[in-house]
Amino acid sequence: MTTAQRTQPISTLLDPATVQSIADEVWPSLVGDGEAFVPVPVAPPGEVVSAWVDIVGPWTGSVVLTCSPATARALTENVLMTRPPVVVDDEDVADALGELANVLGGNIKSVLPGESRLGLPRTGTAPPRGRLDDVCALAGQWRGDFLTITVQGTAPHPSGTEVPQ
Amino acid sequence: MKILVTDDSRVMRQIVIRTLRQAGYDDHDIIQAENGREALEMVGSEHPDLVLSDWNMPEMSGIECLEALRASGSQVPFGFVTSEGSPEMRAKAANAGAIFLIAKPFNEDTFKDALDGVIA
Repeated sequence: MTTAQRTQPISTLLDPATVQSIADEVWPSLVGDGEAFVPVPVAPPGEVVSAWVDIVGPWTGSVVLTCSPATARALTENVLMTRPPVVVDDEDVADALGELANVLGGNIKSVLPGESRLGLPRTGTAPPRGRLDDVCALAGQWRGDFLTITVQGTAPHPSGTEVPQ
Repeated sequence: MKILVTDDSRVMRQIVIRTLRQAGYDDHDIIQAENGREALEMVGSEHPDLVLSDWNMPEMSGIECLEALRASGSQVPFGFVTSEGSPEMRAKAANAGAIFLIAKPFNEDTFKDALDGVIA
């Protein structure tokens, strides 16, 4: 029996309302006063970028933030409070999006049972999802633009074991 | 007063420094380190009066840095600013000699609560 079969899926450990309450604290603090992640889905953009952190413990998976590259840039400008003519570069965008995922991930880790370890934030194409029921996804928007927060189990390795962390 | 802000994220270092200013601690020297190892070296070379450190960093984590500082005899005041604020981590931080743990997300009031009495 693999670890993925033994452990409870995230859908039994975490509900979207808890993720939303964490986002409700993170957005005003990091993105700015009066800013909010609104859990009303909008159509996904053609191109997306993700930032995520891994959680390894009794439950193992990732907390993934996904939005369009333009939204990622706008989020970064807000986080850094930049004003024209100052522009943010790609490194800033990866850093800011990664920190948003990191803070969301750290808080989500805190409400999961048992002791877990949090990885360092990464950005790029989101890791593949695991079991269908091992996902807690919050589809929504920021300032009307597509943004999702997904807490997803690790995809099983083709050999049947977990992907090494 | 000299404050060493340690975080592998440049963005988060900027946010911590901005929040220090918003909390009224705006007339202090701020120096920065990118990980625990760099912070450990800078405590020796720069002699900060306070270290504010992330927990989870490459090279050397914040808790490893604190343990190395205490093992070397340094008693520099040390507080965590981290995305993880579980009771277990707070206990681990306190046992290692941290004087506070500020969990992200934070605001200027969180900083004031933790730092009043620590920063002159």
